[in-house]
Amino acid sequence: MRKLFTLTFVFLLSFSWLYGQNKTVTGTVKDSQSMIGLPGVSVTIKGNSGGTQTDEAGRYTLEAAPTDSLVFSFVGYVSQSIVVGDKSQINVFMDDENMALEEVVVVGYGTQKKVDLTGAIGSVKAAEIVKQPAMSAMQSIQGKVAGLNVTASEAPGSTPQVTIRGLGTALGGRNPLYIVDGFPTDNLNSINPSDIESIDVLKDASSASIYGVRAANGVIMVTTKKGKVGNVKIGYEGYVGMKNMLNQVKMANASQYIQYYNENIEGIGRGTLLKPNQANNTDWFDEILQNGTVYNNAINISGGSEIVDYFVSVNNFTENGIIDGSKFVRNTIRNNNTYKFLDNKLKFSQNLNLSFNKSTPKPFGAFNDAYRQTPLAPVMFDNGRYGTSIYNSSTGIAGYQTAAGETTGNLNSIGNPVYAIQRANELLNSTRIQGGIEGEYQIFDFLKINSRIGGTKIFSNSRTFTDIKDAWLNGNPLRTDQEFQDLKDKNPNVVGYANNSLNYRKNEDFRWQWETFLSFDKNFNGHQINAVAGFSREKSGISNMLSGTGYDLPVLEQYWNLDMASADYTKVVNQTYYTPRALASYFGRVQYNYNSKYYATATIRRDGSSVFRNTGEYFATFPSFGLGWTISNEDFMKDNTVLNFLKLRANWGVLGNQDIPLNVSQLLTAEGSSNYNYVFGPGQDLVLGAAFGSPALPVRWEKTQETGVGLDFEMFDRKLSGSVDYYNKLNTNVLMNVQPILNSAFANNFYDHGGKVRNNGVEVILNWKNSVSEDFNYNIGVNYAYNHNELTDVKPAYDGAIGGSLSNGQITKQIKQGQPLYGWWMWEADGVWQNQDEITSGAKYGTPRPGHLRYKDQNADGVIDNRDKVFFGSYMPTSTYGVNLGINYKAIDFSLSGYGVAGNKIYNALKGTRINGGENITEDTFNNRWISSNGSNVNPGADRDSYASSYYLESGNYFRINNITLGYTFKKLYNSTSNMRLYFTAQNPFMFTKYSGFSPEIASDGNPALTSGIELSAYPTTRNFLFGVNVQF
Amino acid sequence: MKFRNLNIALLMAAGLMVSSCAKDFLDVPSNEIIEAGDSEENYSPEVLVNGIYGMFTDWNYGFSFLGITEIISDNSEKGSSPTDTGSDKDILDNLTYTSTAGSFAALWEQWYKSIGRATNAIEYTENYGLTDEALKNRYIGEARFLRALNYFWLVRGWGDIPIQEQDLIKRVPQAEVYDYIEADLQFAIDHLPAKSKYAAKDLGRATKGAAQALLAKVHLYQGQWQQAYDLSQAVISSGEYSLEPNYEKIWRLEGENGSESIFEIQARGSSIAHGIQQYSQTQGPRGGSAGIGWGFNTPSQNLVDAFNAEKDEIRRDATIIFRNEVMYDGLKIGNTENEMYNEKAYSSANGGAGDTDKNLRYMRLGEIYLIKAEAANELGNTNEALTALNAIRTRVKLANTTASGQANIRLAIWKERRLELAMEHDRWFDLVRTKQAENAMKAAGKPFESKHYLYPIPDNQLIQTPEMTQNTGW
Repeated sequence: MRKLFTLTFVFLLSFSWLYGQNKTVTGTVKDSQSMIGLPGVSVTIKGNSGGTQTDEAGRYTLEAAPTDSLVFSFVGYVSQSIVVGDKSQINVFMDDENMALEEVVVVGYGTQKKVDLTGAIGSVKAAEIVKQPAMSAMQSIQGKVAGLNVTASEAPGSTPQVTIRGLGTALGGRNPLYIVDGFPTDNLNSINPSDIESIDVLKDASSASIYGVRAANGVIMVTTKKGKVGNVKIGYEGYVGMKNMLNQVKMANASQYIQYYNENIEGIGRGTLLKPNQANNTDWFDEILQNGTVYNNAINISGGSEIVDYFVSVNNFTENGIIDGSKFVRNTIRNNNTYKFLDNKLKFSQNLNLSFNKSTPKPFGAFNDAYRQTPLAPVMFDNGRYGTSIYNSSTGIAGYQTAAGETTGNLNSIGNPVYAIQRANELLNSTRIQGGIEGEYQIFDFLKINSRIGGTKIFSNSRTFTDIKDAWLNGNPLRTDQEFQDLKDKNPNVVGYANNSLNYRKNEDFRWQWETFLSFDKNFNGHQINAVAGFSREKSGISNMLSGTGYDLPVLEQYWNLDMASADYTKVVNQTYYTPRALASYFGRVQYNYNSKYYATATIRRDGSSVFRNTGEYFATFPSFGLGWTISNEDFMKDNTVLNFLKLRANWGVLGNQDIPLNVSQLLTAEGSSNYNYVFGPGQDLVLGAAFGSPALPVRWEKTQETGVGLDFEMFDRKLSGSVDYYNKLNTNVLMNVQPILNSAFANNFYDHGGKVRNNGVEVILNWKNSVSEDFNYNIGVNYAYNHNELTDVKPAYDGAIGGSLSNGQITKQIKQGQPLYGWWMWEADGVWQNQDEITSGAKYGTPRPGHLRYKDQNADGVIDNRDKVFFGSYMPTSTYGVNLGINYKAIDFSLSGYGVAGNKIYNALKGTRINGGENITEDTFNNRWISSNGSNVNPGADRDSYASSYYLESGNYFRINNITLGYTFKKLYNSTSNMRLYFTAQNPFMFTKYSGFSPEIASDGNPALTSGIELSAYPTTRNFLFGVNVQF
Repeated sequence: MKFRNLNIALLMAAGLMVSSCAKDFLDVPSNEIIEAGDSEENYSPEVLVNGIYGMFTDWNYGFSFLGITEIISDNSEKGSSPTDTGSDKDILDNLTYTSTAGSFAALWEQWYKSIGRATNAIEYTENYGLTDEALKNRYIGEARFLRALNYFWLVRGWGDIPIQEQDLIKRVPQAEVYDYIEADLQFAIDHLPAKSKYAAKDLGRATKGAAQALLAKVHLYQGQWQQAYDLSQAVISSGEYSLEPNYEKIWRLEGENGSESIFEIQARGSSIAHGIQQYSQTQGPRGGSAGIGWGFNTPSQNLVDAFNAEKDEIRRDATIIFRNEVMYDGLKIGNTENEMYNEKAYSSANGGAGDTDKNLRYMRLGEIYLIKAEAANELGNTNEALTALNAIRTRVKLANTTASGQANIRLAIWKERRLELAMEHDRWFDLVRTKQAENAMKAAGKPFESKHYLYPIPDNQLIQTPEMTQNTGW
């Protein structure tokens, strides 16, 4: 044994001798982000005084021995040291000090080196954000951070739904907390994505708990760009694009519709059969869809000196949606400056973002109408009226023409989608001013104080014009102007017969925040201590609303002023001041590390929220701890050349949530036609009434306990890096909006702690990054997150609350212990009734007919009712994953990214809910339907019921290539730092899914109790093609 | 050093300032909702009493109520399109419902919530410190009348029910519930003004006459004939009411709160419109040239046959809109989807609007005549019974009844109730009360079982309070 050891030792010695000879090493040093050669980088041999500098193109040549380490250093970049070994060419990618290996992440009230973290923080940098152009940066980072589930909507101006590590609460406070440059905001819609320097997602308790107050859903820290010392830089980013529907579903054509309709009528045994070969075969989706377009132009100017750093940008983003007339325009102006005094000891940073939005939304209900409206109806009738489903019920021919004695009916009660879009006349305007100023003073070299104050003011208004008369006339082509006039004369004060109405609504909203904190930073004998302590005051929702409605306005748009409304109708004015919310907080954090090996973090935040007014118990305390051990920095790992970095992390903490309205007992009142009010007297005058609301219970903060462990590693010369995290989040006292007991005195829902929700899961990130040669490098990254959501405990009286209404009397979700939050709950489809004998002897609901779905009698009591409904998982995915690939070859860059979810179910309510039986169906539904001759035991026939059942619940799994980009960079256009990149991007070019509807990605409003996961009037996913140019001077 | 001291002093000052005012900072009062503690400064008891009446305008009366009072009976059918179930109207119609049918839960909840509002209003009025004792008692009397009315619906539907003010789970025997209702109504009778004694602006409020009429009906349901007789007689002879000579006019605009009206649910059609939400719309003719409604709760052929057998054209035509009919106001109904619709829900002025001017005539003198007739007959006063019964028949130009003998007269009165009160939300309760339900339902081809005499306790209630017992058979 000993001999072997000696032998090896000798061998190694001789090996190193062999490599002891000097040789020439060459290479190129590039910026790791822009991939541009860096001139003037100092290249030295460790321990030697000599060295060289890179040339204009970033090239260098130098003599070195294989045992030497080359040190690359450059101002503003992270130094690197590389052992020469047998290499004769060493290409280096230098990371900006804010980037990559020594990456710095923004944590609350400070920054931290990524290697020093004890928590789980996902970061996305500017370069990745702009690669996926979108209105909101949150949509751009979909699939980039494990555990961050972004459900995007392609509707112009919409806000993506964001969930971090699973949904932990049923209430309104589902969104993560967004902190932009230290100031909280609701979403990132008003921020130009190319103004963003980085987005850091604080996922675990130990990182997020510094924002204990609203951290239970995670915290998203956004840092906008600032100027850097150096020459003036001018950047331009522009793109144009085209959008169309990604996954269009083929609807039945006229003859298929007729056959389906007639089979339904035959099944029911009542009604008029439609004649074959009718005049129209309208494809409603063709009629309402257009190619959407998107334009983006952004210019920024930045630079800095010893006195001031500056960054100014302007941006215009314009999108025309895929429905005619739907448009969203955003203009932003940003100015971030830093003023420096007393040799940088005193700094003032100011940021200001102005955002002006203008949009003309169109009703998503048009998608629903286009799906259901019969192809037999024309877009327009020959008499100039919009087409309806009217038909001659004597002859069975669609249209309004009748001969004497013949009568008409309607095939369905669906509107004309083209008209629905045309008549929707809503104009939204908003101006948002967000700004803040922060002072920083270095009191001692180890202590500084920061104080920042900032606010956001939003002015918004909407104008909605409704042509009542036009809608009445277009409801039935047989109606005449005179008939309307007669009705109007007969009902002089009834607004239902006004010609039109105009609603004008104004909202103002203001929030402000003031924070002051001390930061301590000291290093002695390898002990590094870093501490923060401070306080915060915040008031939000300081808002009011003023709305007015008038009737009978002039028809021309230029005269749409409420003052021009007719005096024949009472103008309605509504005005309300809303209750603001105040938060008072104290926070502190201590971070300690010894020799970058052992880490400990302790955080505490004490928060008070004004919503807990009924008890006066405003405050709660949220502690957390984190531990880290960088194993690779231990002596026994020093020689490990495979594993460059290995760190274990563990954390525990308590997070809070309080996003409920002011919790007080109320006296309930309402204006107008509400069930508090009544009419009395011969003139039946409206009198106002009131009722007591449910007494407020002494609820407290929601507390979520989270435990997590994680592992970070880098291997093979840092080519492979990755991390694995496990977490277990338990919301110990979920605030539920509880329905009172049915026969109790109070009607309105109240807030109470009703149960526990657990989210536990695993996140895995792997990245492989390699520079094959000076001209060629690539990276591949995958991330995967698994989350299990479960309601582990519910107070008995609150168990069983229902949700997921389909707006036809059917519901699809229920709260139940042991199930995911608002799990799918419905009848289990169990084949199809084939004949009357089966029906007579089987368990059924109501009086089904052959061809209807049969449902499983789960409790075997011989009838089908709510007690036979069972659970079918959740609309929330259990797995989300992202794949990212990047290749740079010379001036060409190529990237591809994909995003997928699995384990969720989507309810296809477009297919399922029918009211009249005269709605259109998809071609697939038509082709696969039950008919007595095929005896399908899966799909119902044309004559079917409209109950919610598992038949319409489909797998929501999908994988979507969400970005393919090919770029070409022209370097040194004007000087060594100027360049121009042209690129072509295909967003969402392909989607792999078995879902039969338009899109398995349904954002809705994120409320689990409502239509989340139900496709009813959802905006479909679009496929976008963009061409863009980025120029830097 | 001095500089450092200044720094520290500044920091300490800032810290002190911050910690001292946190509680004040967090005490943010409400703007848009009224805190219950502030109510007495802002709201008189009348407002709370108005809130009880407000419950009548709820959507549940516009839809679910139709289901469990008329569609369920032999008077009417679900209507609308065959595929439109109206949530559960199909299974109510064909008597295949279970305890999970939503309409029962809707009204069970609706009636209990109304009771809650009444009890809260009573308590509020008692503690408010009104010095006008008569006014205070009037408010309490109105609230107790309304509470009794809601309990009356509940007890008729479900039998033994919890009394909310006592216990939410324990089901009190029917007889005790009736005692409770009677106490409320007696207070109302003692303290409410007669219809003519109210100020004009208060038209529509509960009156002494309404309380007497309701109490008469409450006794009728318990077979307490003498009290039913006395109270109905008191209403008839009070001088406050008289029969409207033209039966069909009762449901037209001019008949609102008319001479025959004892208690109506009030509604307003002009802006701001406020009535029973969608009551006219859900029952309005579906399709056709008018197309003003959803076409639910359509009169059955069984009902038409009952009218025709009696050659009772006036009441038939006042009760039913027929396909292709031209209405009294000139509206052409056209070729509608269903053959018949409920004319008593028709609003001439407000067509298919959600809130129409349609008052729901809940209690009217016509019914009081029939209560008197029935009570008198049971007490053996055949002549008085026949006089009251024939008064109702004479108005609609029908000959006097030919029935004789207590048993036959009883049947004649029951038949008269059906025709006189058709589509007025009384048929099912009457069928159950008189035990005609089984035969009537079987005649209408519906699978009636004894369990149908009581509604099922809603499943959702039992999920919340599993200790509560279910009615037999459900």
